[in-house]
Amino acid sequence: MTTRYSRFLSAFFCVFLGGLLAWHVLLPDRDRSDVENRTLAQFPEFSWENLKDGSFTKGVENYFADQFPLRDQWTGLKARTEQVLGKREFNGVYLCGHALISKVDPPRDGLEEKNLSYVSRLAGKAEVPVYLGLIPSAAEIRREDLPKGAESWDQAAFIARAVELEGVEGVDFLTALSAHAGEDIFYRTDHHWTSLGAYYGYAALMESLGRGEEVLEREAFERLIVPHSDEFQGTLYSQSGVHWLPPDTIEFWVPDEGFEVTSWREGAPQKASLYDLTKLQTKDKYSAFLGGNQPLCVIKNQEGTGKLLVIRDSYADSMAPFLALHFEEVHLLDPRYYRYSAAKYAQENGLDAIVVAYSVPNFITDRNLVLLIQ
Amino acid sequence: MVFSSLTFLFGYLPLTLALYFLTPLRWRNFVLLVTSLFFYGWGEPVYVGVMFLSIFIDYTHGLLVEKFRERDRLARWFVGQSVVFNLLLLGFFKYWDFLAANLSLLPGAAVPQLGLPLPLGISFFTFQTMSYTIDVYRRDAPVQRNVVDFGAYVTLFPQLIAGPIVKYKTVAEELVRRTVTSQDFAEGACRFTVGLAKKVLLANAAGALWESCQASQNAGALTVAGGWTGLFAFGLQIYFDFSGYSDMAIGLGRILGFRFDENFDHPYLSTSVGEFWRRWHMSLTSWFREYLYFPLGGSRAGSAKTLRNLLIVWFCTGFWHGASWNFILWGLYFGLWLILERFVFRDLLVRTPVLVKRFYTLLVVFVGWGIFAMEDLGVCGRYLAVCFGGGPLWSGPDGYRLRSWALILLLLALGSTTLAVDLWKKIPERGRKLLTPVLMALGLIVSTAYLVDGSYNPFLYFRF
Repeated sequence: MTTRYSRFLSAFFCVFLGGLLAWHVLLPDRDRSDVENRTLAQFPEFSWENLKDGSFTKGVENYFADQFPLRDQWTGLKARTEQVLGKREFNGVYLCGHALISKVDPPRDGLEEKNLSYVSRLAGKAEVPVYLGLIPSAAEIRREDLPKGAESWDQAAFIARAVELEGVEGVDFLTALSAHAGEDIFYRTDHHWTSLGAYYGYAALMESLGRGEEVLEREAFERLIVPHSDEFQGTLYSQSGVHWLPPDTIEFWVPDEGFEVTSWREGAPQKASLYDLTKLQTKDKYSAFLGGNQPLCVIKNQEGTGKLLVIRDSYADSMAPFLALHFEEVHLLDPRYYRYSAAKYAQENGLDAIVVAYSVPNFITDRNLVLLIQ
Repeated sequence: MVFSSLTFLFGYLPLTLALYFLTPLRWRNFVLLVTSLFFYGWGEPVYVGVMFLSIFIDYTHGLLVEKFRERDRLARWFVGQSVVFNLLLLGFFKYWDFLAANLSLLPGAAVPQLGLPLPLGISFFTFQTMSYTIDVYRRDAPVQRNVVDFGAYVTLFPQLIAGPIVKYKTVAEELVRRTVTSQDFAEGACRFTVGLAKKVLLANAAGALWESCQASQNAGALTVAGGWTGLFAFGLQIYFDFSGYSDMAIGLGRILGFRFDENFDHPYLSTSVGEFWRRWHMSLTSWFREYLYFPLGGSRAGSAKTLRNLLIVWFCTGFWHGASWNFILWGLYFGLWLILERFVFRDLLVRTPVLVKRFYTLLVVFVGWGIFAMEDLGVCGRYLAVCFGGGPLWSGPDGYRLRSWALILLLLALGSTTLAVDLWKKIPERGRKLLTPVLMALGLIVSTAYLVDGSYNPFLYFRF
């Protein structure tokens, strides 16, 4: 190696390391990452106490990683490299043609059985009928599209067990969705079902509630697409780092007319609406349905009949507008944020039925369902 | 801090190098000492105290050995003290809980476990400082009278936490007088990048495959194919992880003006278990040879003593790797194979074709990795039982795994041979000059992408 050449190599090495350091220092710190849907670590406050227990240095490392320049681009580059190396799985997400499908890992600590038993005990306590609807995720419905031999926990077998549950009526989302497996019932870049999927879900639920004849034809809906709703890059886009798929389109089927929506986002009731279209300008566009996660939401429709309590996860956000067409009151309760006895709530508000509508991946990992037996 | 972290690569390293090269030559060891202590204290600030204690004791013992050199018994006494101190230090932090747990199994005994975190690199630096006093006594190395220079040797951050085990005599001269040419820097930077890529890109990929096979076992779905895939993956993971780390250490040493000895020499090409250990973690093997096996009498005192010495050395080698029964078993397992090779197979091996010998060596070594990787001997036993036919041959997930990792496994397998180096040498000089910066950029950029993604970056040698 000549001196000139080795100087060039050395400089190259130093510029790469030092350059990124300088960039990091000069780049203003961000508060949160929309792509990852979380707040980012900030530089930790120094104290001798923090230094001693190691939390200071740990904090600096988190800060360094979270605020790293071009964070999202690096993640994308990694996914591309993995693809070149022949991988079909990216951080727990399978790339299946033009769609991303999240792998479902086996539940831990027997949580799935515990949660089933909570539902069963809720049914024993409540004075109104209790329905359990487990929504299989794309990994089950589109199992054939997964890479050959790729593993994903058997949701169908679990749903079959749940149907046997004593004192609880089953809602057969599995059959309803499987019958339309070839249609776009799941987003390609997000783990939720699309409005079409939610429509089939609504039809199945109405059937179970004995009101199947009221279900509206698919053609009765005008599938509304508004500005930015065709630029949806969902949770799987972020999780996998696979950034090269075309974005999804969010459709709004039920017109937001004639409903009275009340949302308990901050504890006190607030007037809300079926759709919060301002969310379409953010990364988390699925939140446009009912405005996203909240402890409790009540939709009233004077033309409807019956009062329904839905204990639910975010899949119900896009199904609720369909239900609202038929019920006088639909109460949506999210046990992750709402800490009150569901049985009592149903009694106090004079509700006719309780539906536990949960996606299987959430149901088998949620540690809040113990609240059902309060 | 580990080398394969963003904080090290884009924080600590550029700042330390800038400080180091802006400092006049005579102050550089001081800068090294301070920055290395900072590096060491990053994870467990409290243990900087352990480091100071270690420096102080070994520094003074070196001086005492030198001072009483004429009175051999006294000099030996001080060497002994230093060895005992280092072994106690290691024993207390690394082995106390293991001993306590096992003693507590005896009826009527209750020894409390302390649950202290292991000071980083303690297995490495205690061995290095032991070598110092012994080398001084044996006149293999001059005594070091400057406490800063000595401290810089003990704490030298490139090899502090995962080796190679640098004997004092190797760097004694460079510690006092060293120059860094631009060639040294450039070659060091290349070597470091190679090591980084080996660790971040290859070792972690193999590790993910190993974990997937382990998950199959936990789910009770391990097959013969899956079992061997797992052993193969783990063996490649640990090779690329550890040799990558050594490459980074050697490269950083070079950048700072030190030439450490090589630590790996394509061990998976070995044609006997004995040869494997002359090519794998060479600095550890040679440490045990020089400071334990030879002093015990080596192989010069008859078959019975050779046998005993081999067993002692391999018990210690295994135990050094971790405070757990599986590591002891792993060491003795190799001891057994080495004894067989020496006393039983010797003539047979000479007559065996090279390919068969390679296969035999790999088989022994990779089954050994099974013992190494699974601390729970019950789990380990069941796993190996499946490998040797105690389960179904093949299942769907095996196909998925092999398809997903095929290219990576091929790269890993070829990467552990001399093929890459041979090909590189075949490229004309001009081509190499053009390719070097391209490959360096590629290695750095892609490694950075994986580190930022960060979903998977465990560091195997933290336990040592």
